[in-house]
Amino acid sequence: MDFELGEEADTLRARLRAMIDAHVPAGFLGAFTDDPADLEVTQRFCALLASEGLLTVAWPTDHGGAGGNVWDQTVVREEMWAHHEPRGPQYMGLNWVGPAIMAFGSDEQKRRYLPPIAEGGAIWCQGFSEPGAGSDLAALATRAHPDGDGWRLRGQKIWTSYAAMAQWCVLAARVGPGERHEGITMFLVPMDAAGITVVPIASMLGPHHLNEVFLDDVAVGPEAVLGEVGGGWSVIRRALAHERVGIARYARCERLLSLLSRRGQEASPTVPDHLAAAWARALTQVRVARLLAYRAVLTQEAGDPPDATASMARIAVTRCDQLVAELLFQVLGDASLEAGGGAPLAGAIEDHWRYAQAATVASGTLEVQQTIVARELLGRPR
Amino acid sequence: MNPVLDRDALDFGAAARRAFASLGGIAAARRAEVDPTSRQTVVELLGSLGIDDLDPVGNADSAAAAAVLCEEAGRVALPCPVGGLALCATGDDGSRGLPVAVVDPDRSRVDHAHLFPVWHVLGPDGLDTTARPVGPALGTRLGPFVGDLRATDHDGDHPGTGRVGHSTALRGWWLALSAWTILGALDRAVELAIAHTRDRIQFGKALTDFQTVRFALADAAVAVAGLRELAGYALWRLDVDADHAWPDVLALRSHALDTARTVLRSTQQLHGASGLCDEVDISILVRHLQPLLRLPSGAEATAVELAGAIERHGFDGLFAHGRLP
Repeated sequence: MDFELGEEADTLRARLRAMIDAHVPAGFLGAFTDDPADLEVTQRFCALLASEGLLTVAWPTDHGGAGGNVWDQTVVREEMWAHHEPRGPQYMGLNWVGPAIMAFGSDEQKRRYLPPIAEGGAIWCQGFSEPGAGSDLAALATRAHPDGDGWRLRGQKIWTSYAAMAQWCVLAARVGPGERHEGITMFLVPMDAAGITVVPIASMLGPHHLNEVFLDDVAVGPEAVLGEVGGGWSVIRRALAHERVGIARYARCERLLSLLSRRGQEASPTVPDHLAAAWARALTQVRVARLLAYRAVLTQEAGDPPDATASMARIAVTRCDQLVAELLFQVLGDASLEAGGGAPLAGAIEDHWRYAQAATVASGTLEVQQTIVARELLGRPR
Repeated sequence: MNPVLDRDALDFGAAARRAFASLGGIAAARRAEVDPTSRQTVVELLGSLGIDDLDPVGNADSAAAAAVLCEEAGRVALPCPVGGLALCATGDDGSRGLPVAVVDPDRSRVDHAHLFPVWHVLGPDGLDTTARPVGPALGTRLGPFVGDLRATDHDGDHPGTGRVGHSTALRGWWLALSAWTILGALDRAVELAIAHTRDRIQFGKALTDFQTVRFALADAAVAVAGLRELAGYALWRLDVDADHAWPDVLALRSHALDTARTVLRSTQQLHGASGLCDEVDISILVRHLQPLLRLPSGAEATAVELAGAIERHGFDGLFAHGRLP
């Protein structure tokens, strides 16, 4: 047995932390705030990562990546999330839009779309969920009607993160009369196309996270189709496979617990004695979540298809996120309601609590993960 | 990164499972309640499996073997303190030492106290001595074999006892192996709950057709999977850096106790009224595991001890924890 990630991973982690220390302002809480300067921080940081070959560390070298392994990806994922994702909205393009285009795209699509993603210069959003198709994605009703040699898109997407700031959307729509998985087709759609209307949804997460996207006869050419017409479900499955390990939420949990541990730092709240046992338990839960996530990474490394291992990890990680968020609020007491630069840890804990509430919903609900785990349990031989 | 136990250890675990099945599995626990002397058969069986050859403290392969042996014992509520037996230190002359027990110094109460005439007992603040059983076993439903020990002044020259610096490490190993036993019991509890809810028909369909039952099973399985990862991690930490693994061992013990509370409760609940009946395995599993969950200390006291250990020694992870050096 060996639970070390190895010297290369340690070196990469140290390098990333040095870059974050030097180039991400203290108190940075991500790109999705009311302050446009925060988005600019991520744009500069992505350019820096790209210049050092670290933005596409996991991409194959054929497409300008570093050819890194799954553990390099894991380290990047952990360090970025721990420090409030200074890549901003880029992680979606890097993690699955780019790889999906590599797998399903035409040569022209690869030439057109991959370099801007690799340079951190393009923001993508994901047009999957609809008012009637959340966990049941195959129920989507947005339609693509043939129009000459192209298509016209009609329908509505919802919960679409970054829609207002994105230049492109990878969008699922239904072609033809088929039901469920039949006919689903993926389109690469410019967000400035005529007929697209983005309506922000006010939420506890803050700006840019939740939007409605209305598609009113949006005209796109034949070159907008990613993969085969009617073959969109394969693309979605690949996208979900890339997302199977999910966000390294445990890393931010551990960083915040570390900042609040009883280290006597000036101007930093500390864990009171009556919460010491809860703090120790939370640290243990964080470790458990991380180890379960590593187990899911191992299945990915082995080339195995996504299975209950990934869902188990996501259940543990997302619940851990909420447990830690609650504990941190207990530590802060009434100061937990404060936000912004003047709040404890520059508002990082208040920000974390709000995001943690979404952890068991975003990218596949807790209930979907439980269903996957139960299905595998009950499929086992007696 | 390789969290998987070696093939040899897994093979040893499979052999242990077959051996325990030859005793009737959990039937051995039922028999022992009626006739406590039947536990000698279990001790002899463990001897035939080679428990006397194990040296978990000194050898990583041996540690892995001891861990899977404890896990298999937990699966059938084996009526024997397997972890303590696996830690019998062997003397220079090859003589076998005493079974090890970790105790609360205020009351040296251990499971299966009367199974052996002399114990090697360890506790906080360097407590490291020999002890003998006194008085009768509790004989209760939740502690059928629990008895008290009374410390003796080093009762003869027993290998392993009183070795300077040895007791803390040994105490850590005992706690880790006890967690592996708990892991085995919880893993089996989930299997039993799956089997029962799949077979039990209510409202015209199997209980597993109800989403709430499926979610309860999923949650229990995730909890056990997490405990398994932590158990492997602690084993590795003891192997590579035993001197600094105390917080890792306590974290494992604490998490095992917390997990046991939720998993045993939910899996027994899923059995309905039958889960309370001794003819059903989950009842035996829940009852017989209680001493291991309460001795030497329970979940809350362990979590408090863990917090103190992290503050003093730190906690391995992505970021630093505890007091600055």
